Amino acid sequence: MDLDRFQYLILMALCLVVTLPLEILLGARVWAQPRRLLTAIAIPVAVFVVWDVIAIARDHWTYGPRYVTGWDLGNLPVEELAFFVVIPICGLLTYESVRRILTEWDDVWARLRRLVGLGR
Amino acid sequence: MGPPQAPGRAGALGSVEYTWAAVAGVVAVVLLEVLWLRTGIFRTATFWIAYGIVVFFQVLVDGWLTKLSSPIVIYNEDKFTGWRAPFDVPVEDYLFGFALVTLTILVWVRLGRPARDRRPPTGAGSSRTGTGPSPRR
Repeated sequence: MDLDRFQYLILMALCLVVTLPLEILLGARVWAQPRRLLTAIAIPVAVFVVWDVIAIARDHWTYGPRYVTGWDLGNLPVEELAFFVVIPICGLLTYESVRRILTEWDDVWARLRRLVGLGR
Repeated sequence: MGPPQAPGRAGALGSVEYTWAAVAGVVAVVLLEVLWLRTGIFRTATFWIAYGIVVFFQVLVDGWLTKLSSPIVIYNEDKFTGWRAPFDVPVEDYLFGFALVTLTILVWVRLGRPARDRRPPTGAGSSRTGTGPSPRR
């Protein structure tokens, strides 16, 4: 089986996996607010899909055929759609984690202690 | 596909469309915040620290996507400055990434609770001690 064609998609999946501990361990509460997340993602996805479609049409960039599935929506590879969903989520998880550490540290600390079974 | 055309250096500034698009993207996002959304995130340490972390990971992910030895995304050398750093990441990608991530955070913050209500969401049933003048509970 040719895993190479899934390289771009796998990279995107890895981004979600790597940032998941921010939600679980630090309590970033990004995934926990699905409606807010969906709305916050929808706008950049719409804007950047348009940007991407134009950029591809104007030959700003193309994709290495070995590393993409070839599943296209018009001239847009599904990998690009995944990118515009995944990267903003990673950004939000980072932002919320930093915000919580800076402004709600007691809460984060209590959560971490609870998770490892120390204290309530 | 096919290799990027090497010779077309003519019309240097006018032809670097990706560069201009990326600059315009950043300007648009900044104007959106300053003129309309006014979340104030550009004045917070939270945003800039988070953004620094984002850029670090962008270098890794984007570095993998754009590496010239076996690129996943192949850039047309005629449509950007050709400056790449570190690894083979086109510098325009940092502007593109800033526009993408900052736009998302702006909308997210705007959708969130107003700045006045700073109470952590996990309050243990403590009463909502209003700091503002609003009489509503």
